[in-house]
Amino acid sequence: MTLANTPKTWRSAEMELIIASAIAVLTAGGVYLILRLRTFPVILGLALLSYAVNVFLFSSGRLAIDMSPTLSKYGDGTYSDPLPQALVLTAIVISFGMTAVLVMLALGAFLEAEEDRIDIVADEDAEAPAEDPRS
Amino acid sequence: MSHEGHLLLLIALMPFVGALVPGLMIRAGRTTCAIATATPTALALTMLLVLAPGVMQGEMVQAELDWLPQLGLSASFFLDGLGLLFAGMILGVGLLITLYARFYLSNDDPMGQFYTYLLLFQGAMLGIVLSDNILLLLVFWELTSLSSFLLIGYWKHLPEGRQGARMALTVTGAGGLAMIGGMLILGNIVGSYNLTDILQAGDLIRASDWYMPALILILLGAFTKSAQFPFHFWLPHAMAAPTPVSAYLHSATMVKAGVFLMARMWPALAGTDAWFYIVATTGLVTMVVGAAIALFKDDLKALLAFSTVSHLGLLTMLLGFGTEAAAVAAIFHIINHLTFKAALFMTAGIVDHETHTRDIKRLGGLRHLMPITFLIGTVAALSMAGIPLLNGFVSKEMMLEEASHTDWLGSHNLVPIFATLGALLSAAYSFRFIVHVFLGPVRDDYPHTPHDPPFGMWAAPALLVVMVIVIGLAPFLADAIVTVAANAVTGADLHPHLKIWHGVTPALWMSVIATIGGAVLLSVHAPLDRIWIALPRPDAKVIFDHLIAAVVAACRWITETTHNGAISRYLAIFTVASVFLAWIAYSSSGLSAPTRDLLPVPVVIAVGWLMLVVATVSVVFMHHHRFRALVLIGVIGLSISAVFAYLSAPDLALTQISVETVTIMLLLLALHFMPQVTPKESPAWLKLRDGVIAGAAGLGVGGLSYAFMMRDIDTISQFHIDNSYEGGGGTNVVNVILVDFRGYDTYGEIIVLGIAGLVIFALMRALLDGPAARRLRQTVYDYDRSSDRHPLMMVVVTRVVMPIAILVGVYIFLRGHNQPGGGFVAGLVVAIALLMQYMASGFAWTQQRQRIEYHTMIGLGVVIAGLTGAGSWLFARPFLTSDYTYIHIPPIEEFELATAMLFDLGVFMTVLGAVMLMLFSLSRIARFAGETVNVEPMDYDPGEHAEDVAER
Amino acid sequence: MMHWIILPVVLPAMLAPIIGFVMRYDITLARVASLAGTAVLLAVAIGLLVLAADGETHVYRLGNWPAPFGIVLVLDRLSALMVLLTAILALIVLLHAIATEWDDRGLHFHALFQFQLMGICGAFLTGDIFNLFVFFEVLLIASYGLMIHSGGRERLQAGLQYVVMNLAGSTLFLFALGTLYASTGTLNIADLALRIPEIPQEEASLVRVASMLLIIVFAVKAALFPVQFWLPGTYANAPAPVAALFAIMTKVGAYAIIRVHTVSFGPGVGSTEDVGAILLYPAAIITIAIGALGVLGARRLMPLIAFSVVGSMGTLLVAVSAFSPLATTAALYYLVHSTFATACLFLLADLVVTRRSGDLLKAQPPTVQNGLFAALFFAAAIAMAGMPPLSGFLGKLLVLDALRDPGVIPWVWTAILVGSLFTIVGFARAGSTLFWKSTALDIPEDGVAVTRQASAAEIAPTVATIAILALLAVFAGTVANYLEATTLQLFDRAGYISAVLGLPVEG
Repeated sequence: MTLANTPKTWRSAEMELIIASAIAVLTAGGVYLILRLRTFPVILGLALLSYAVNVFLFSSGRLAIDMSPTLSKYGDGTYSDPLPQALVLTAIVISFGMTAVLVMLALGAFLEAEEDRIDIVADEDAEAPAEDPRS
Repeated sequence: MSHEGHLLLLIALMPFVGALVPGLMIRAGRTTCAIATATPTALALTMLLVLAPGVMQGEMVQAELDWLPQLGLSASFFLDGLGLLFAGMILGVGLLITLYARFYLSNDDPMGQFYTYLLLFQGAMLGIVLSDNILLLLVFWELTSLSSFLLIGYWKHLPEGRQGARMALTVTGAGGLAMIGGMLILGNIVGSYNLTDILQAGDLIRASDWYMPALILILLGAFTKSAQFPFHFWLPHAMAAPTPVSAYLHSATMVKAGVFLMARMWPALAGTDAWFYIVATTGLVTMVVGAAIALFKDDLKALLAFSTVSHLGLLTMLLGFGTEAAAVAAIFHIINHLTFKAALFMTAGIVDHETHTRDIKRLGGLRHLMPITFLIGTVAALSMAGIPLLNGFVSKEMMLEEASHTDWLGSHNLVPIFATLGALLSAAYSFRFIVHVFLGPVRDDYPHTPHDPPFGMWAAPALLVVMVIVIGLAPFLADAIVTVAANAVTGADLHPHLKIWHGVTPALWMSVIATIGGAVLLSVHAPLDRIWIALPRPDAKVIFDHLIAAVVAACRWITETTHNGAISRYLAIFTVASVFLAWIAYSSSGLSAPTRDLLPVPVVIAVGWLMLVVATVSVVFMHHHRFRALVLIGVIGLSISAVFAYLSAPDLALTQISVETVTIMLLLLALHFMPQVTPKESPAWLKLRDGVIAGAAGLGVGGLSYAFMMRDIDTISQFHIDNSYEGGGGTNVVNVILVDFRGYDTYGEIIVLGIAGLVIFALMRALLDGPAARRLRQTVYDYDRSSDRHPLMMVVVTRVVMPIAILVGVYIFLRGHNQPGGGFVAGLVVAIALLMQYMASGFAWTQQRQRIEYHTMIGLGVVIAGLTGAGSWLFARPFLTSDYTYIHIPPIEEFELATAMLFDLGVFMTVLGAVMLMLFSLSRIARFAGETVNVEPMDYDPGEHAEDVAER
Repeated sequence: MMHWIILPVVLPAMLAPIIGFVMRYDITLARVASLAGTAVLLAVAIGLLVLAADGETHVYRLGNWPAPFGIVLVLDRLSALMVLLTAILALIVLLHAIATEWDDRGLHFHALFQFQLMGICGAFLTGDIFNLFVFFEVLLIASYGLMIHSGGRERLQAGLQYVVMNLAGSTLFLFALGTLYASTGTLNIADLALRIPEIPQEEASLVRVASMLLIIVFAVKAALFPVQFWLPGTYANAPAPVAALFAIMTKVGAYAIIRVHTVSFGPGVGSTEDVGAILLYPAAIITIAIGALGVLGARRLMPLIAFSVVGSMGTLLVAVSAFSPLATTAALYYLVHSTFATACLFLLADLVVTRRSGDLLKAQPPTVQNGLFAALFFAAAIAMAGMPPLSGFLGKLLVLDALRDPGVIPWVWTAILVGSLFTIVGFARAGSTLFWKSTALDIPEDGVAVTRQASAAEIAPTVATIAILALLAVFAGTVANYLEATTLQLFDRAGYISAVLGLPVEG
């Protein structure tokens, strides 16, 4: 569907730029955090990333104001693109489930290992030299 | 396929079928087992003899079965003179070896296994010489490598066996792989993998640009297999195998595979300078080097091994000459070498078996103690030395003859001289074999007093020695077979006449020099030996082992530095790669012109944006304080849902905010058991690097979205808007998409939630059954907690709110189809209300009042959703086809009852169940962590019955 | 109305909750149900293969909505093959897990197992790319559960990394889908195939980015360089039967590339056809190298196997990267082969490792059935290293033969052939240490080394995989015929489009 073109005003700052920059900031923050060395910041980072990607996905339907995709007898019949919204909803739910599992797993790993580093340092057993090749 | 064809297939198949026999027959005793093993070989040999006459007439027997036509691989075999000769040798010697091994192997060796391996090898070897398809030939080629690996490693408890086996596999395996490349190239040149076609296309091949690569790769295969210098070193170490194996694989058959291949490919590859200089030179060098080393080996089998290397070199050289006469000589020497060398190996085996040593320096004077063995060994050795009236002499003469008129880079003498030298050395070590083992005085220090073995053990070598003499006296007997074989190699029509006396030729003089020189050389062996030992010389095995060790170490270092478990680096690489590759894809094309006017920015959004940016930045900088970070995350979530609300996405806003709440709650509860602060451990450079990566990713994604937000395209969603009401029976298009147009997505989505619940529960149980439980019990909280964890005020409020919340949930659920809302949000709202209950009143109290168990709730939810979908099958409609009708219950606005709502109910229950199950798991951990419940009358002690409820 | 097509999804999806929520405290009941369900799945899969053999592209319109507006399931030879592969593997692995009682070492094994199957089958059958995402998530979250099944420190830490890596992957997937929808306005694979060619070649930046991002997403699943790092740690620490089941998970990634980047993005689509190979071709070659080095350098058995899996994925994807019918046929044959070879190795490793103290590659007193295990390992190694007589050799030859363009020969052939040499040597060293050298050690009197004998039921699944590999070699021609037909159908984009969208498309 071709989305309605709303009259342009106040070109200095535009909604699209606002949203794009918000996505950029969220993504950058998220990426920075998932590169940390402890599980908790990584969880936060993934949360930020899921925000970012949700807005991104949402924005793929282009932006529209006062055109919520709820059919009304009075509206002018133009609505914002509902499909990306549905996709985002699905994405939100899935990432919620994933986050929950991740949190529990992080907790479990912490309790088992008594530390919450996310990088695995090879245990000394593995350091034990394997067989002498000449045997 | 002709009758002969079927016979040929049977021959090729027989050893593999037979390989099953020994394993079973071994239970029937060792002799029975040996006989059982001999039977298939004998049968195959008989069938071969049935086919032989035809082949001797120059016919060619062919048989073909389709295997993998797409590849041009077919199970096709053919039998020509060359194939006949080799097949005969393989099967004939096979029989002798079977007999010999019966007496050689001791009682504690697993004989059944041995014979099985032996037959597998025999089948593979037979396959090589009968294949009419080079890919099939490759199959058998690799099989010989594998079976020889098993046979060399037969005494698996001996390190020499294991190392020798691995070395052989590595070297011949490498050659085999190179050969795969070569053969495929050959096939590409000719356009067929059929050997007979390829042999026709010699000129085409030699003219092709790919000739050299093909030649080199194929020769690599041949040289490694036939132990040509510098790949010869594996063969002596293969002597760790039982002597029957050495005699069979490593002198008579397998090591000849390389020679066979060069003979087979002769019409296709030979006849160029490249061929001559590579093959002939390698052969010449190998012949001399092998013979020289052999002279100084004290281990009988090592001596024979290097002499084998030397003779393989001789054969290679002859084929390298590329003349027809040389080919004849090669074929004839193949036969002769087989007879005397196999006999010699068996003799060495007997000596070893009887004296319990193979060290020449500890032997000598055996002729008195074991005359028969002495006789056999001597005749064979003299033949190897090239003494007249023995077959070795005849073929050696022919070799020297060819060498005598071969130029090498214009020099007439080089080849003859080295050929003579080779012959001389060969004579020397042959004499040494006789003199130092059998002649001389009887010693009294043998590890074990020897005597001649039982007939069964010397029968095989004796038979071979008879052949040595017969062929030696009457070479013309071999005319026929040599002729057909040689013709098969050269493709010409030759009629060689093998005879002892060629008159006084240069070859004769060379031969005389060689023999006398050999004798002289032996007489001064002792001093030479001392010099040899004194000389520094490279030990191939040491070099090989160090090479392998170094490669392994390198592999290990690379692997373990790249895969070091540092996921933060994996993620960094992942991000960089994504940004970089996306940029490549992006920059190699362009964008269409912008088509959209951009929207204005109202103040509220600007403020929301500011909040969001500030919050995000502060999270990044303050994430070390985990609680603060969580709060900030909440702020971000809120501002995002505000944005959704403003940008015409009420459902998103609603969902976002409720998910936000639940997520934060769960995170808070989890954080409760984890460190409250993240240590500052990243060095500055790391932060900088990550900052750059993050910035790049942010810019990329932001730019991407900006790029498409400025452009319009037609999307499929107009259909959804048009059909939402009529087709889906709902005015909230988003919800209709979720439960109807794309209900299948939602179905998957709730299953994800259900699984999440399961995983978390299972994980919790695994934790509490493990060591974690103990640690939890010792949890000491590193921060002071409120003494009153269930403040009265909150308790009251939440309990009042509870019914309202549930009512709201129901309302949201019902209106979902037409107004923002729906099962998911409703589920979350109710879940939140329950969460509040938990926080206020403690888990047990809530638990007591909760009727349905969470597992069941999730299960029911998923099943209901599934059944709703499947229900439409009854009406012969696809999964998830919806139907609806309108009803009106005051005071709620009119809403319709759609099957989609039943589906939505499934969603509702799954969500509620999943969230509560997660919560329940957390609370279980909490109770292990010793969280007591305060004693206010309002609260219950969440005793065992809490779990009972939960797990009922 | 052909409801068969959706059974591979609905069947486990219905069974799993019942197992997980009704039978969760009765392992026997759960086993029976799970086995029965998997058996039925196998029957259905066979039925679907027969159905697909007619060469038609069968479309199942969910919710009775027309494509591209609703979600459709598409059954063609390829998806039928993948579903069948899944079902066979699942049954074998399940038998092993039950016989070795792995399933009883933690909660909800069977429920998660069934959900896993649902996710995999769903991913193979869907004709909608967002729905592909959803089912990726289903199979992933189920795999998280299976990966950490029965817990333990190393496993949880490795599991955590596995989850984080895949969450990052899923995020990228959504970015890719957003870009894709924004630049094409559709989500249906066939509709994409219809719309993308309409995009002017010089204005295709956005869709090209989408295509590239999707390749990376799928590459994460398929363990392709530079996103393969997660695999060794995960497979080496997962319960061995689960690792065996994961043999099909890497193939999901490969399948997605084959499907999406053949049908939607080309070949033949000027604006995007080159994107696939940009990453795939060089990365696959490097992946082969990584696998080879890892096998030769491994200190432990499980990582050794895991790296051999990486190498095999490289071989598979280098064939895919050619996007030619010939190479794709080779790739598919190799795909089937490597699935069972991988499973075989992990199942066997489970039998061996659980009978010695850990999987460190050093000699220990032999197990009771040392000879048997040695023989099985020999066969499995042969298969994985691509030696005759098992299917690996033929698969390798097919791939090499298909990639005969003079430009690629030096790289691809060298990588594959040298790679196999490293693999052969690596397996030979490991095997001779584990099974040969151990016989040199005498069993201590205290009977420490006297290990539990593996029952026939425990060994049968491993043997079954080897039998399959052998059959795959013997009937290579027959299999290749089906695969050839599969490839032809796959490359007939017009046919796919018209079948799915129900409209006549010329050319």
